[in-house]
Amino acid sequence: MILTVLLLMTQVAVQDPRLERLDPETRSLVVSVVDSARAAGLPSEPLIQRALEGVTKGAQGPRIVAAVRRLATDLGTARGALGSGATAPELEAGVAALRAGAGPQVLTQLREARRPPLTMALAVLADLVTSGVPVDSASAIVLAFAPTARDADLVEFRRAVERDISLGAPPGAAASVRALNTGIRSTTDAAVPPGQPPRPPSRP
Amino acid sequence: MFDRDDELVDRVVRQLRQPVSIDPALDDRVMAEIAADPAPRATSRPRFSLRPWPWLAAAAVLGAIIIARPWTRGAENSGSNAFQFVLVAPQASSVALVGDFNDWDPARSPMRTAQGVWATTVPLAPGRYRYAFLVNGVEWRADPGAPDAHDDEFGTPSSVITVGGNGS
Repeated sequence: MILTVLLLMTQVAVQDPRLERLDPETRSLVVSVVDSARAAGLPSEPLIQRALEGVTKGAQGPRIVAAVRRLATDLGTARGALGSGATAPELEAGVAALRAGAGPQVLTQLREARRPPLTMALAVLADLVTSGVPVDSASAIVLAFAPTARDADLVEFRRAVERDISLGAPPGAAASVRALNTGIRSTTDAAVPPGQPPRPPSRP
Repeated sequence: MFDRDDELVDRVVRQLRQPVSIDPALDDRVMAEIAADPAPRATSRPRFSLRPWPWLAAAAVLGAIIIARPWTRGAENSGSNAFQFVLVAPQASSVALVGDFNDWDPARSPMRTAQGVWATTVPLAPGRYRYAFLVNGVEWRADPGAPDAHDDEFGTPSSVITVGGNGS
């Protein structure tokens, strides 16, 4: 019975018609990586998408395989930091944060500070760093906002920082000033009964 | 009170000690009924309940895999929200949106133009997606209104969009 299930699961990757866009040699190597990742409990879909991105962009086979292997490794690192209960979107966002320069310990701190899902918080952290905000500053800001800020607040914060940067503000200063001045509403603020004055915005 | 209980017990004991008469033909009638039954239940039940189990389980797993189609991404599942992608490209003759949400297939999300503004709408489930615009079938462009994917490993620009749990 178990053998039957394992065989069926293996066939899923082999029979995935999307991978037929790869040349046979590359496809064989990619399927091997995907199968190994799946056996390790990692999500396979990001790996398949990375391979499809490569073939659509006309990349050579070895480059596609290297990209898929690197992503599998990073997904494993992200899961080690975020825990075995992390979802596929969280792991993908975790990989983005890691590649932006955040250390695994930052991901672990974020997991402890914020209730899941962590996808948006991790993505905002990655986006802030790729926008030029120093990784230490971005990590500190996101960790400070993590316990109470809503996903939409984090997105708005990132957009505000990126607007300031596009207008010429230094990235680090833009993030720090916005962190001090932006009134990120906490989840408890949304529960203020009608007619009562809103509580002051939460500050990190 | 105790005397009354003793009397009741004595009556029960007397009743139980009376001889019981059984019809001598009872055994023959029972055996005749069993022989006349067309379905031998005693032997068929264990065979039916045990042997098909592996096949039923395998069929269930196969059916679940086929129905769930794990090779398709969650964007096609329920809980997704529609997001519009826009690129201003007045000189372009064609623009395609490709990304993690459509298997990087230029034919999956065609963009329509109105005076050089190309747009299309795609349903996205919560997650983080990489994408790019393919202009005239040869030129790759990132989305100027979205964060760049700085970890592009294929030498072309890409963007990222993150959809939160509430569709934000």
